[in-house]
Amino acid sequence: MNTNQHTDVDDVLWSAIGDPMRRRMLDILLTDGAATATSLGERLPVTRQAVAKHLVVLDRAGLVHAISAGREKQFRVDQAQLARAVAQLADVTAAWDSRLLRIKRIAESIQRSKDAGKRSNTSPKPNKPNKSDKPNKSDKPNKSDKPTKGTLQ
Amino acid sequence: MMPGAEYDSIERELHIDASPEVVFDVISNPEHVREWWPDEAEYPAVAGGAGRIGFGSDADDMTWVQFQVVEAIPPRLFSFRWTHDVGESAAAGNSFLVVFELEPAGEGTLLRMVETGFRERGWAEAKAAAEHADHVSGWDFFLPRLPVYLHTLEARS
Repeated sequence: MNTNQHTDVDDVLWSAIGDPMRRRMLDILLTDGAATATSLGERLPVTRQAVAKHLVVLDRAGLVHAISAGREKQFRVDQAQLARAVAQLADVTAAWDSRLLRIKRIAESIQRSKDAGKRSNTSPKPNKPNKSDKPNKSDKPNKSDKPTKGTLQ
Repeated sequence: MMPGAEYDSIERELHIDASPEVVFDVISNPEHVREWWPDEAEYPAVAGGAGRIGFGSDADDMTWVQFQVVEAIPPRLFSFRWTHDVGESAAAGNSFLVVFELEPAGEGTLLRMVETGFRERGWAEAKAAAEHADHVSGWDFFLPRLPVYLHTLEARS
């Protein structure tokens, strides 16, 4: 598979965002708007030094920016870079959603033709329901349970 | 804002009105896999089976991607790795791992899909693969969504 120019950048981005502690830091920064390594360290079960290291990784991935204010650097989330990361996730996820919808359609159409074949093969009267196979087809409990439900979000 | 999902996997589950045996065949048999994903699929659908899947409209212009079955336990588990380089054995770090789990649910099947490997390989690679694999079937993706989208528009107006 071809790798494009952005691959290295994106790998940095995703390894940055792949770490649970760094995601917690992003969550705090998104909620608070800005924070210093010290204030993040106070809210997380890691040392200020560990927080500083994580901030370097996030900064290198472009996910946070430092603003010098007072004695200690303040960090903010780069919304555009974060949106870009989330959009990539959404693209790959959407590809799977469409594949799974197709799997569902194909499997259900095979099942329907199997059921139809079974009825005409095993029973001369097609109206007679096959006992074990489909106990309550006629009073299907959940009408709202339509094919695409639950796969779209 | 930040989605709730972890960033190193994609997880999906859906109910299918077909038996686990039928669903297993659809997700594992290359004949069927061609109908829902690549344009070509050549691999033995057994544990360790190595082969390839191809994307492209004609045989002369086919992009092949390596594909290797990890586990095949009908009718409840099918997993494979893909996108490793030619000549490499599929393993963590050089490929994406897709695991399908099937569970009987009423008259049908609950199908769970998890794809992992993004932390090791990077999402750009996954995105490129996804776009390549699906641009041909773009309409298959958008058409089923259209009624939902229209409904959303109606609800807003």
